[in-house]
Amino acid sequence: MGLRDIVKKQQRSLMEPEKKKTEEIVQLVGFLVGEEEFAVPILSIQEIIKPIEWTRVPFVPDYVLGVFNLRGNVLPLIDLRKKFGVLNDEIDENSRFIVMKIKGEDVACVIDKLTSAIRIPKKDILPPPDTYLNEDDIIEGVGRLDDGRIITILKVDNLLKKEEIVPNRD
Amino acid sequence: MDDLMELLDDFLVEAFEMIEEMDQDLIELENNPDDLELLNKIFRVAHTIKGSGSFLNFDKLTHLTHHMEAVLDKARRGELKITPEIMDVILESVDAMKAILEYIRDHQNDSSPDIDIEPIVKKLDAIVSGEFEGETKEKKEPKVNLEEITLENVDELDLSDLPPEELDAILEKLVEEVNKDEESEEAEEKKQETSQEAKKKPKEPQEETKDKKEVAPSKSTKPVLKEDQKKITQKEIKKHIASVKEQTIRVDVKRLDQLMNLIGELVLAKNRLIKIYNDVEERYEGEKFLEELNQVVSSISIVTTDLQIAVMKTRMLPIGKVFNKFPRLVRDLARELGKKVKLIIEGEDTELDKSIIEEIGDPLVHMIRNAVDHGIEPPEERVKKGKPEEGTIWLRAYNEGNMIVIEIKDDGRGMDPEALKKKAIEKGIITPQEAENMSDKEAFMLIFRPGFSTAEKVTNVSGRGVGMDVVKTNIEKLNGIIEVDSVPGKGSTFKLKIPLTLAIIQALLVASQEDLFAIPLSNVIETVRIVEEDIYTIEGKSVLKLRDEVLPLVNMADIFEIEKILEPDKYLYVVILGLGATKIGLIVDRFIGQEEIVIKSLGEFLKGLPGIAGATIRGDGRVTLIVDVASLMKLAKETHNKKLVTDSLKEAKKKKEKPEDYVVMIVDDSAMDRKIMKDALSELGVQIIEAKDGLEALNILKHKNDIDAMLIDIEMPRMDGYTLAQEIRKYNKYRKLPLIAVTSRATKSDRVRGVEVGMNEYITKPYTKEYLQNVVRRNLKLQG
Repeated sequence: MGLRDIVKKQQRSLMEPEKKKTEEIVQLVGFLVGEEEFAVPILSIQEIIKPIEWTRVPFVPDYVLGVFNLRGNVLPLIDLRKKFGVLNDEIDENSRFIVMKIKGEDVACVIDKLTSAIRIPKKDILPPPDTYLNEDDIIEGVGRLDDGRIITILKVDNLLKKEEIVPNRD
Repeated sequence: MDDLMELLDDFLVEAFEMIEEMDQDLIELENNPDDLELLNKIFRVAHTIKGSGSFLNFDKLTHLTHHMEAVLDKARRGELKITPEIMDVILESVDAMKAILEYIRDHQNDSSPDIDIEPIVKKLDAIVSGEFEGETKEKKEPKVNLEEITLENVDELDLSDLPPEELDAILEKLVEEVNKDEESEEAEEKKQETSQEAKKKPKEPQEETKDKKEVAPSKSTKPVLKEDQKKITQKEIKKHIASVKEQTIRVDVKRLDQLMNLIGELVLAKNRLIKIYNDVEERYEGEKFLEELNQVVSSISIVTTDLQIAVMKTRMLPIGKVFNKFPRLVRDLARELGKKVKLIIEGEDTELDKSIIEEIGDPLVHMIRNAVDHGIEPPEERVKKGKPEEGTIWLRAYNEGNMIVIEIKDDGRGMDPEALKKKAIEKGIITPQEAENMSDKEAFMLIFRPGFSTAEKVTNVSGRGVGMDVVKTNIEKLNGIIEVDSVPGKGSTFKLKIPLTLAIIQALLVASQEDLFAIPLSNVIETVRIVEEDIYTIEGKSVLKLRDEVLPLVNMADIFEIEKILEPDKYLYVVILGLGATKIGLIVDRFIGQEEIVIKSLGEFLKGLPGIAGATIRGDGRVTLIVDVASLMKLAKETHNKKLVTDSLKEAKKKKEKPEDYVVMIVDDSAMDRKIMKDALSELGVQIIEAKDGLEALNILKHKNDIDAMLIDIEMPRMDGYTLAQEIRKYNKYRKLPLIAVTSRATKSDRVRGVEVGMNEYITKPYTKEYLQNVVRRNLKLQG
């Protein structure tokens, strides 16, 4: 009789903090684009790879570098630095391709350097300040970390817009 | 429930097939009303559908087919002549059957409220009772002696050949027999019973909800008997089908698609293997293992190709599937328009990929309609012209290489190129100047332009101005091309050429500057090498004179806005592209070769890029874009109007006259060696860039385009000179960059290695200043 109660209690204590965590803590992956630190939800990331060769594609905005082969699939490659107006476009040993799902499609983004995996309570994420340039609605919010770092959290689904890449398609 | 669904699926697939066949047979019957064999065949089909329909409790379907069957039965026994009016009613009922079947497919029952069969049934009844009132039933003499039928010999009977009344009588008799000797056949019976039970069970609730109206009027009312009766009906159906069909299994198309995808991957792997083999062959020439490797590679590539063909074949369907509906279409149209038209179909066994079969139907309908509506003249007009009153349309399919050709030919009024041009000018589709330069074939292609319609009066059949341009887009979507030929007064011929399959194609790989592109080989007419002097400028546009043709000439780099970094060769390489009657010459920088490629999508974001159809992954793992020829032609036309090829060639030519215009890179890890070389070269007056090792040199090369020669040390940290040379040669733009090795390694094998990796010269240390200067000067082609 007592045993069952104990088991129940244990289960409850096991589950409740879990619940709290998943409710309140957001897991992100942080990275640098130029000098600024950005982050995207860890769940939107498919994988992170070292830069590999890509093929240029005509008639696209300059931030679309082209396409590359990821194990037999052809994925578009977006340079977030060009997208965010960072001048440096070199690819060095710290550069990475982050493959993420944007509107259900796998797309890779070039970033300058991975920083860290971030766990941040949801309440610490504030809406983007008005001073931010957020025309395309690509910023989810701004997070302040314990060590004082400020990161910009991106809305992954809004990073790319079809009509911007291939205009007037019929 | 699954069992029933499966049964239903089978029923539907069969029923649709049979009806399609029936449609065709009926048209044929109209031409040969006395063909008893044909009549019997049609009757049997109707009867089979009725039987299966009643088994599955589709009352409406059964009701309709029952009455139709009665008419057919009468005709079959010579008591009724099939006139076009009667045929209209029969065809109408076939259409209703189709509609009901479609409803069943979508809703799993036939209680469709929209389909009212009563008027048709009444018409059918009127035909049956009209002239031979009351005779129908008495006149029949049973073909089979009921007494002779037992359960044992029932299989020998051709039940499907019997009129329904007799069949019912036989069935009833059999049911009695079954009840009588249940014991003797227990074993077999049981098996059937259980399977019967399984199929029956899930159906029961459904049955409850419907009203329990009896299916066919003369059917037995005892539930037990009904069950058995159905069993036999089913047996009959099965037997019937077995006799018609060969041994086949139905496979879900998804599985075949999956298989095709896997084959695609295999083809890629095969290409890669071949490439690796070629690399290895170069390096280890003469080694024994090469032969073994060669055998493995070639056997894998043969098997892959065979496998690909085999899987492709499983996806192939005879084009008859599409052709079947045309006799009916032509007949209805001709009647509606008051014309007489005969349709001759050939090559309906020609096979095509399923996905193409699905896409080709609509374009063909348009073209056939056009042929009947615009092509064939009304009978009076034909007689006046001295042609037979009845017009003929030929619909032909045959293979031609990797393509299938579908030909639609009519002996109608044909098309007048001048009239077409005039009309196109009126409609503002082309300018008078364009019209003047147009060949007849190009003029015929005008009918595929949006907004072009040749019908003088708009009928509801065709001539709405949409259609032919849609046809063209659809065919081009399949990588196909259209050819038109016509003689005024004699008729027109349309040829649709379509590749057999969509997923894997033969392509010509070309390089424009450093970018590779794959061009579907079906659109490549030929490739030629020309010199700049072969290019003429006519009316401010570049053209190429090729034999007796004058072709518009465009640089591919201009079309795709590719930056020009390569100095033009003495020769220019031109791909002659053809799409329908249009041909253009496309200047590329290099031909890579012909390759089998697997088409991959660029994904949602990049889909629909102008001039690009997709991408493929090559043997080396890199992605190569596949050109969309139709869209490329459009772009090329725009570019052709804007830019002269000769101007575009000049862009890449750099003016280098003085020594200061040249840049030489020195790669050496020793600062002292660099200084010695630098001193020697500065006397020549050229600009100098330094790099400490291979990696640094490569990085500089990636970002600078204007290096004219390189001096390379062999022994270096991080990346040595051999590797550097190898890497440099991978860039198209550096294929001709002079690479000069400067090293103390002087053995013969070192020199050979140097040549292998692509070094142009080999200087051994120590060297005199003059010698170095001479070598560099020679490689830069500097005067003095």
